[in-house]
Amino acid sequence: MELTATAPPRSGRQAAPTAKRRKSQIGLAFIAPFGALFALVFIVPILYAAYLSFFQDKLVGGNTFVGLANYGKLFQDPQFWDGVGRVFRFTLVQVPIMLIFAMALALALDSMRLHGTKFLRVTIFLPYAVPAIVATLMWGFLLGIKYGLFGSLNEALGTDIDPFSPGTTLISIGVMVTWAFTGFNMLIFYAALKAVPRELYEAAAIDGANEFQIVRAIKLPALRGSLVVTIIFSIIGTFQMFNEPQILPSMVANSGVTTFYTPNLYAYNLAFTGSQQGYAAALALVMAAITIVVAYAVQIRGLRNASDQ
Amino acid sequence: MRPISSRRLYTVENPRKSTTLTVMTGLFTLYCLLPLGWLVVNATKSQADFVSSFGLAPGREFALWDNIVQVFTYQDGIFSRWLLNTVLYVVVGATVSTFLAALGGYALAKLDFRGKRTFLLVVLGSISVPGIALAIPQFLLFAHIGMTNTPWAVLIPSFINPFGLYLMWVFTAEAVPTGLLEAAKIDGAGEFRTFLQIALPLLAPAGVTVLLFSFVSIWNNYFLPLIMLKDPDWYPLTVGINQWNKLGSTAGNGALIQNLVITSALLTIVPLIIAFLSLQRYWQSGLSLGAVKG
Amino acid sequence: MRLSQKVKLLSAALVPMLALTACSGGGSGGGADGGGGDEKAKITVWSWDGTVEKAVPGFQAANPNITVEVVNAGSSQDEYKALDNAIQAGSGVPDLVMFEYFAVPYFAVPGKLADLGEFGVDKLKQDYVPAAWSDVTINGKVYALPSDYGPSAMFYNAATLKKAGIKEPPATWDEYYEAAKKIHALGDDYYIAQDTGDIFFLLSLIWQAGGRPFKVDGTKVHIDFTDPGTTKAVAFWQKMLDEGLINTKITGWSDDWNRALNDGTLATQTMGGWLTSTLPERAPKASGDFRVALMPQWQQGEKVGAANGGSSFGIPAAAEHKEAAFKFLEYFAHGGGLSSRVDAGAFVPNMSVLENDAFQSKPNTYFGDQKVGAVLAEASEIVGSGWQYPPFFEWARSIYGDLASPFYTTGKGSLAEILEQWRQRCIQYGNEQGFEVS
Repeated sequence: MELTATAPPRSGRQAAPTAKRRKSQIGLAFIAPFGALFALVFIVPILYAAYLSFFQDKLVGGNTFVGLANYGKLFQDPQFWDGVGRVFRFTLVQVPIMLIFAMALALALDSMRLHGTKFLRVTIFLPYAVPAIVATLMWGFLLGIKYGLFGSLNEALGTDIDPFSPGTTLISIGVMVTWAFTGFNMLIFYAALKAVPRELYEAAAIDGANEFQIVRAIKLPALRGSLVVTIIFSIIGTFQMFNEPQILPSMVANSGVTTFYTPNLYAYNLAFTGSQQGYAAALALVMAAITIVVAYAVQIRGLRNASDQ
Repeated sequence: MRPISSRRLYTVENPRKSTTLTVMTGLFTLYCLLPLGWLVVNATKSQADFVSSFGLAPGREFALWDNIVQVFTYQDGIFSRWLLNTVLYVVVGATVSTFLAALGGYALAKLDFRGKRTFLLVVLGSISVPGIALAIPQFLLFAHIGMTNTPWAVLIPSFINPFGLYLMWVFTAEAVPTGLLEAAKIDGAGEFRTFLQIALPLLAPAGVTVLLFSFVSIWNNYFLPLIMLKDPDWYPLTVGINQWNKLGSTAGNGALIQNLVITSALLTIVPLIIAFLSLQRYWQSGLSLGAVKG
Repeated sequence: MRLSQKVKLLSAALVPMLALTACSGGGSGGGADGGGGDEKAKITVWSWDGTVEKAVPGFQAANPNITVEVVNAGSSQDEYKALDNAIQAGSGVPDLVMFEYFAVPYFAVPGKLADLGEFGVDKLKQDYVPAAWSDVTINGKVYALPSDYGPSAMFYNAATLKKAGIKEPPATWDEYYEAAKKIHALGDDYYIAQDTGDIFFLLSLIWQAGGRPFKVDGTKVHIDFTDPGTTKAVAFWQKMLDEGLINTKITGWSDDWNRALNDGTLATQTMGGWLTSTLPERAPKASGDFRVALMPQWQQGEKVGAANGGSSFGIPAAAEHKEAAFKFLEYFAHGGGLSSRVDAGAFVPNMSVLENDAFQSKPNTYFGDQKVGAVLAEASEIVGSGWQYPPFFEWARSIYGDLASPFYTTGKGSLAEILEQWRQRCIQYGNEQGFEVS
């Protein structure tokens, strides 16, 4: 069974040199449309941001070249590291929970043993389609302690828990993010399961394998590639967390959300209210570097595990 | 798809339903639905009821129809315009981005070219750069080409879906047997035709996934159109709805129209449900993979 | 190596970008468009004030050569950034832009706004409340015309006050303090007001008490939160918070706030006059209960006010049709278009409107047929003069919450300490941005 996903099999035989060159040209032709637009939308702006990061644009006195000063300042900026620490903590807790849910749900849906599979599948995915502003409105109500549902819950149980106090806000954001993105990840897993040829299950069933054995021997290995993908993208998504902490302060008082709550929110505030574009660009690039290192580490691990198999 | 045995009622394709499993999944579904229930209930309330009645209880009057009419007539019916814009951005953007991702993913998985690794690293690296920080450089670049405040400023960035490319790469590697492609080429099919006729059908489940993700992400795209567009006639729904929401919180003469914000959000979700339901038949098991066995 | 080739290629692609930034700023800004009144022009207006649109038909009828397009700018913060972007890109700069008063110096000081003096703006001065005029005057030059105003006033729920045994709305802050205790005695949910770190409220308190913490002279900014007026105001509010008389759980403009206004558990709101138009939407159930009074005074018998919010319109230095833009601006902020905006609910700082009998004697049903206009007109005219905002106030207010939040959640520290930290941060930021801040 060959289902190693992340490392796509290198194309098998070595072709003759000329054929290889031709193949290379065809490959380039296939990738060119994506590549060209990608350069326009991502690469050039990134390079421009890198350029900006060497400058300080003052409100009075204009643009001056400051070399690496923005980076130096960033490394000593406790607000930046506070945000970095927060997204790391968040990633360590929320991402595993969300992915386990997503995977379990995908397996459940794929088992065909559910009543109303179609309904469940749509419902679980739906939150992903709700605009962030509306999502935050909804959760603001559900978790509100004065007029919201959580208030009624506190009353009924005699508890006094505030989901939006500085100590608990991050957990509440976790609940909101998990709500919004579990369905998204579930679908990736689900699509991967759908790509497994059904004949494998039939063969296994004929061999007398039960459901759990099929899951362990066929389905989980088939999910490994998708797992690496979802982990990486969840990490990127979390490291760029922005919407929830940006909208929350307008709905709940003193939730502990600061202007530098996450690095991305900090970058936004630096660039958009502080006119510190150069500094914001430096922050974004450093954050990207951190993300790449983490994502790369995950990928390496994922590959190693895959080859252990 | 051959049934293992015609005598057995439950097969791998149609196993016995499990109530326990359904209930467990159902619990999670409840978590997904509860906030949406709030949305539905509150879309039926007038503004006055919205600010004064309990969140999950109905208002004194049933105002859903009123709200819908208001959504479509407020500010000279600009909502319909936003809806059409969004449909344009989504249909064009999702189709093109999925096709480009399939083309690129295929090249990465099945073809060789110089700088493949670099290309991959650059693509994956770039998506790690927070989009917020790129917004201003992107704006300046597009302003330079004269494309800000036109639909192109929203469309062109949406053509690129690095995540889709990644998915397509992984799925192509998994689901498209190289042997099949080579067989087609031996039969004299060109590289592009092989891609179109052999690979693309096999990639349908992944393609639908990518299409759906593109669809939703373009549908929910907020930040970039906000920066790129100043003319409300080109706004997508998200930017428009947010502007309505902000009307109420800017001091001065803004109107508080949360009932319209909520109703429009609900209306916004409906097309997504339809899209989802109509696309999901492509996931029906077996499907193109049957072709592998020929 | 291939990678470095790629980088070279891409940096080649970057060159035009760099050129582009170099030539920003200047652009078409140069001279005003020569032609005087008859030239055909299409002007773009960025605004989040819905009433401006009401003035367009009248203006276009009188000026067939000028087409006005009003663009809903969304939130103020989005608009300022969009304007900065447009100016930097050198394209898409609007002709007329709405600014909160505190944002005028941000654009005016670095030269991004046109001096309206060249259009003879000075002759309009008499029509405006002095404090509003001073808000748009920076270093002796006028950069915008006031378009709406937020004289601070006390909106109070008379029914709640009555329930607490308070017959007259508090006229001094001492009475306010006593009233707060009586109101909180009604129940745990009852408070005289909420505050979760609202800097504009605190500043209006300081403003009224005679404090002038920001002194701006050109690019020199002096910040001092220790003058007697500031100290008095801060100490008073500190006492209110310390004694638990203020709700620190409900934040202004939130859904909870709407509900508390509806059920009468928040007894008063000391805010800008613009609350008049939005309160009926937020607290429809409390219709007939609310009234408006002047801000409580620091001394019995005094009449001093402050402002909280309000906005104005200015013309970017890089705008294409400055002359036409000013024509429209004068029309809706002073001339023939003003009445259509007032009818649509705008609260304007024009003496011609405020002193008008019809405006002053119109009863407002929501406020139990109180003549709200008369109260707000008086509140506008008594706003203390000489208040200034630093040119980086938009930034300063955005970080105020970071500093205030720990105090409001834990009760540790004090407002005075927060203000001192705030001052330090402002000094650091301002100097980095090229101002001389001390």
